[in-house]
Amino acid sequence: MAALVGLRAGFSALQLTSSSLLHSSFKLCAVPLSRRSFAAEAKKVFSRDKPHVNIGTIGHVDHGKTTLTAAITKVLAEAGGARYKKYEDIDNAPEEKARGITINASHVEYTTANRHYAHTDCPGHADYVKNMITGTAQMDGCILVVAATDGQMPQTREHLLLARQIGVEHVVVFVNKADAVEDKEMLELVELEIRELLTEFGYDGEKTPVVIGSALCALENKQPELGLDAVMQLLQVVDEYIPLPKRQLDKPFLLPIEGVYSIPGRGTVVAGTLERGLIKKGDECEFVGHNRSAKSVVTGIEMFHQSLDRAEAGDNLGALVRGLKREDVRRGMVMCKPGSIQPHQKVRAQVYILSKEEGGRHKPFVTNFMPVMFSLTWDMACRVQLPDDKEMIMPGEDASLTLTLRQPMVLEKGQRFTLRDGNKTIGTGLVTEILTSTPEDQHNWG
Amino acid sequence: MAVSVLFRSIRAELTKVTFQRHTVRCVQSAADKALLVKLRKATGYTFINCKKALEKFNNDISQAESWLHEQAQKEGWSKASKLEGRRAKEGLIGLLMRDNAAVMVEINCETDFVARNEKFQQLVQDVALATMAHHCSKAHGGYRKSMLSADDLAKLTMVEGPSVADQMALTIGRLGENISVRRAVSVGVPADWHIGSYVHGAVTGQSSMPMGRYGALVVFQGGPEGQAEAFGKKLGQHIVGEAPVTLGNMEDLPCGESETRLLPQTFLLEPKYTVGQYLTLHDARVLDFIRYKCGESASQEVE
Repeated sequence: MAALVGLRAGFSALQLTSSSLLHSSFKLCAVPLSRRSFAAEAKKVFSRDKPHVNIGTIGHVDHGKTTLTAAITKVLAEAGGARYKKYEDIDNAPEEKARGITINASHVEYTTANRHYAHTDCPGHADYVKNMITGTAQMDGCILVVAATDGQMPQTREHLLLARQIGVEHVVVFVNKADAVEDKEMLELVELEIRELLTEFGYDGEKTPVVIGSALCALENKQPELGLDAVMQLLQVVDEYIPLPKRQLDKPFLLPIEGVYSIPGRGTVVAGTLERGLIKKGDECEFVGHNRSAKSVVTGIEMFHQSLDRAEAGDNLGALVRGLKREDVRRGMVMCKPGSIQPHQKVRAQVYILSKEEGGRHKPFVTNFMPVMFSLTWDMACRVQLPDDKEMIMPGEDASLTLTLRQPMVLEKGQRFTLRDGNKTIGTGLVTEILTSTPEDQHNWG
Repeated sequence: MAVSVLFRSIRAELTKVTFQRHTVRCVQSAADKALLVKLRKATGYTFINCKKALEKFNNDISQAESWLHEQAQKEGWSKASKLEGRRAKEGLIGLLMRDNAAVMVEINCETDFVARNEKFQQLVQDVALATMAHHCSKAHGGYRKSMLSADDLAKLTMVEGPSVADQMALTIGRLGENISVRRAVSVGVPADWHIGSYVHGAVTGQSSMPMGRYGALVVFQGGPEGQAEAFGKKLGQHIVGEAPVTLGNMEDLPCGESETRLLPQTFLLEPKYTVGQYLTLHDARVLDFIRYKCGESASQEVE
């Protein structure tokens, strides 16, 4: 019985989308699978009955971001959906390492009636940007906290600018400290002002939900209409307004090729870990990358030497493909749903350059620097062009760079990659925009 | 923390007690809603203070405004003393050049959000101008370099108006974060010398003054005719990038990646030369340099 449960837990872990979660639940499923002292393990088993969403809080230091986060956990703890975290527990954002990069962030998880949330709170702008680049917890939406006593602070502009930069499309506003304002009209003015500001930054200021309340009241069990009720209302609004991210399983399939084998008497098999989507026997497929392209049909799928009818994102599989020679495909190409993905040569990307302490270079670099870019299973030399307002990039900085590959490879918006130079990882990045390459870009490779 | 919680809960209680009185006044305050918005837009002070000011002066907007400015100074000081212990290691380096003189200042704040704020950048500019005025008041012909500590800086006065310390308190009140005017350096050179400068990670603000996370000043003689500025900037870039600690000698042999003497270092922008060779090539001589990295002195203090 225990083995059966373990097996199922293992399967659900493979369907995971977020990389950070993948990590944690592998740990969870490792215990039952290896049949270690099952009862002695006190760790709670993560249940996956609700869709998962990543959110965060932004807002000025003293406007009550952390108090709100504490209040949310407190309110939900009473409903059984969270563990209450005190202000002090959340406030000292621990330094964590993701992809070798130090980020200051505190993570809290909780469950509402409909969803499971991971809640991120960072102290600074740079931390949010690093968080986005490494993808520790890509924010699907965020809560902007504004104190009713102050209205928008001078920094609120910087916060919205940040939300835009890290690609947050859905913002919900919580007007905090409403208990310290006796005049209802002032609350209306604060709301009006924040809506204006949202519109100015390209958000839908009219339709953005604004909840008025007091996180402190919720923590101290006072004035329930401003405390408990407001927090509940906020959570409901977040549930409704922030859409679910598209699940990896629903996307067209993509298999980065790790190896190609020819099996005598059967044909060519490509192996790799399915990045997203579903593959079924008989699906048409296309091979892209390394200046080549070919079409074929998947005639068989195997995992652990057993054949299966369909494979899901996260599965490490071998696919038998019809009518293809081993020389036609190579590592670094991808097998995908025909037409779903194209190779590109030139992209704009948000890149974080590792500091010396994080294992990066100690020296800055200037334009025309040529590192090697690693993404999916491929690697390719690329040339760096700095933005016009920068002349060099120091270690520990992030920047928006234009990267031109020596050959077009599979790249799409939102794809992550690593830059290496010699034997050092120098940075990691996220593609933000696909650019068309000009004939000039070809010539410059000499 | 506990004190502020207590304070707020007391305030909440008081609000309840005085609630009835206020509902009466609400009817009257409907008229000054437009004024309140106007005052807030014009001054940028918090809603609650704008309202207080209007109530105090019976909706006289000009009196209210001047009262707010006064209040801001007081509030700034009380806030400044409250926030004093908080660690500030973000911020900006500001750089100001005049003929034969240059000033570099470092101002710290708690988060990089504040460093991007216009008001903070205004403070950086004001402090740099004050330091420059201080420098010019004592200037004489020769080479002079003076380092100013946080205490020295606090005593300076703005070009017109309050002292640096007052201005700092005002900005703290506005931005709500601990801010410290950390250090500054001013350099004056004889007419035939040059000062090269470079600021890295520059922020795009309204100010015409360059500000960023790293700054370098380099004092040199010679160099290509008429291109002293560009030449100085290249040297500045190298100093920011390679972080030399000492000048070294022209005869020094380079000792690899970890070289901390400027002259034997490999030149960042033309790696086939060392800095010394590059200078010889252009018939130039570096006499002194200063490099600031934002937050470096703050983290040293903690250690």
